[in-house]
Amino acid sequence: MKSEVMVGNKAVAYAVKLARANLIAAYPITPQTTIVQYLSEFVAEGELAAEFVNVEGEITAQLACLAGSIAGARAFTATSGPGLLYMHEALHGTARYRAPIVMAVANRGVRTMGPDHSDMMAQRDTGWIQLYCENNQEVLDTGVMAYRIAEDAGVRLPVSFGLDGYVLSYTAEPVEVPGQEEVDEFLPPYKTEYPVLPETFDEDIERYKRHWAKGKSIDEPFTPLAADESFSHLTMVNWGGPHDQQWRWRSHQEAMTRAKQVIKEVDEEYGRRFGRSYGGLVDEYRCEDADAALVAMGTVASTARAAVDRLRRDGKRVGLVKLRSFRPFPREEFRRIGADVDALCVLDRSISLGDEGGIVYNSVRSALYGLDERPTVMGVHLGMAGKEVRVRDIERIGERALAERGGAEPPVRWV
Amino acid sequence: MIEIRFHGRGGQGAVTGVRVLASAMHLGGRYSQAIPQYGTERRGAPVVAFCRVDDTRIRERDLVHEPDIIVVLDPQLSRSVDVARGLKDGGLALVNHPGSYRDTGLSGNFKVATVDATKIALETLGRPITNTAILGAFARATSIVEMRHLEEALRGELPARIVESNIAAMRKAYEGVSEAVDVSKLPKRVVAVKESQEPLISYSRDVSDWRVHRPVVDRGACVGCQRCWIYCPETAISVVEGGVEVNYAYCKGCGICAEECLVGAIKMELEEE
Repeated sequence: MKSEVMVGNKAVAYAVKLARANLIAAYPITPQTTIVQYLSEFVAEGELAAEFVNVEGEITAQLACLAGSIAGARAFTATSGPGLLYMHEALHGTARYRAPIVMAVANRGVRTMGPDHSDMMAQRDTGWIQLYCENNQEVLDTGVMAYRIAEDAGVRLPVSFGLDGYVLSYTAEPVEVPGQEEVDEFLPPYKTEYPVLPETFDEDIERYKRHWAKGKSIDEPFTPLAADESFSHLTMVNWGGPHDQQWRWRSHQEAMTRAKQVIKEVDEEYGRRFGRSYGGLVDEYRCEDADAALVAMGTVASTARAAVDRLRRDGKRVGLVKLRSFRPFPREEFRRIGADVDALCVLDRSISLGDEGGIVYNSVRSALYGLDERPTVMGVHLGMAGKEVRVRDIERIGERALAERGGAEPPVRWV
Repeated sequence: MIEIRFHGRGGQGAVTGVRVLASAMHLGGRYSQAIPQYGTERRGAPVVAFCRVDDTRIRERDLVHEPDIIVVLDPQLSRSVDVARGLKDGGLALVNHPGSYRDTGLSGNFKVATVDATKIALETLGRPITNTAILGAFARATSIVEMRHLEEALRGELPARIVESNIAAMRKAYEGVSEAVDVSKLPKRVVAVKESQEPLISYSRDVSDWRVHRPVVDRGACVGCQRCWIYCPETAISVVEGGVEVNYAYCKGCGICAEECLVGAIKMELEEE
């Protein structure tokens, strides 16, 4: 297998090329820009047969991908920080349409340039699947897997994956690039079963109307047709059908729940085919006999592995739970892990201002509610607005988690 | 794990330097990592970049604070930046400097090797871009990377038309680097650190030590068109009595004025030590 030293942004571009995306629409923003530069080179050199659409902003980028996806294209976009916020409204649209678009986000702060998870956290409730990567290899592998997850008949949801801006986007390290043939076998071409094409538009509308007239129940098993109905522009056309839209949210939530299993299965299959897998929703590192476990996402998890190794060398039983899938959130996994450790210490690279603690911290805490034996849950803010995350900082956090395990929950800390 | 910190100025190629080095180390069968520290990109401003190499995949994502090796791409830099900060005992400082280890002004429990990378770069590339030359010196001084791997990595990173001249620079520096000499007995010198005391974008900041070349105006040839005044990114040029004058405290020696002058009234001359 070919191995090349490359920056995270190039790993993203390779993933998109290997996935044979048909449509790329993105607007440049630091630190995402070179993703699009590499892709435009692939297209210009004829290495990737994709439509490259130059757009005037992130909303248009997302909407161009949406239109292409509905028509049956495998679409890709990428953005970062403020660009992602500008895209926000369109993200809801894509999710409601259940369009399986894949988006890379070079995570950065908003009103700051540094790495930070605030950008993707602000899209938490748009209905996109959110995966976070800890190294450039995982970035490439996740980019390929993202399409399998997004296009799965039981899921049909857009997938975003984050790579920490600068820390991964501009850092070069060895990445193995799988062969195109192997990826083709893993990821067959995208085929939407109900494309909306200009030439058959009237026919399509009639078909949807007929289906609509049959009435529907949210308890119906999920079918591609039901996904198709989520093309919500059709209900904006007033044809007198029942206008209850709430079912869409419930159906979407059910797809999110199903996505948990699909993310795990796709990761396992990827592991069988390519020799690398990432634990599905969470990756547990040295947790077997741990008294306390750290919880981290993105590159903080990478640095935390080094810290855990140092703590273990001193006989301190600390493990790491890398949260790979933030949406859907692996509640069941945290309940299982939480029953086995005395402390969970959640490292958040973001904050929901006005509440106590980070966003991941509160999700973990909520997942553990009602357990007979609950671990002490601790919250730490670190690495925000580009603040450096050092191994020794996480070592100290680990020591503290051990010392305070089993006791009352300490106030949320800032490192 | 070996940790390396590059110090340079914007435009000298520190970022490309660490990337080529990381690629070359990986070609040698090891894991590596090249980290640029991006800030306010400004030609001539002090920059740092980092490189790690290890036998297993590197998980550390913080910057390098206690390097085993430091590489300094600019001879003037150690006057205003504490380049040896955190350098491990027994470590190595590889410095682009025309003089010997004594002239670098560095002292401490480490060794210093020098190479006149600016001269080599000017001779082979015609520009004071010292990153590739210093890599040749690095291969010789450290023995942790092979020249053939550096050359292969360079071909992957640089545009084809400048590969051969850069390889020539690298080879010249490989031959030209001095022995590494222990500097623990040399007297300590206090570095007047200018970093972080003023914002990087500050036109009230003295940048005279960023220069390799200085613009010299021939008042007789100058026609007073003020093109240089328009193009100077540092607003270091003033128009005085119809002719132009350079304020050398704020001139970083980028050469844009000489490039833009239509009558050839501005010449870039090598700074003297």
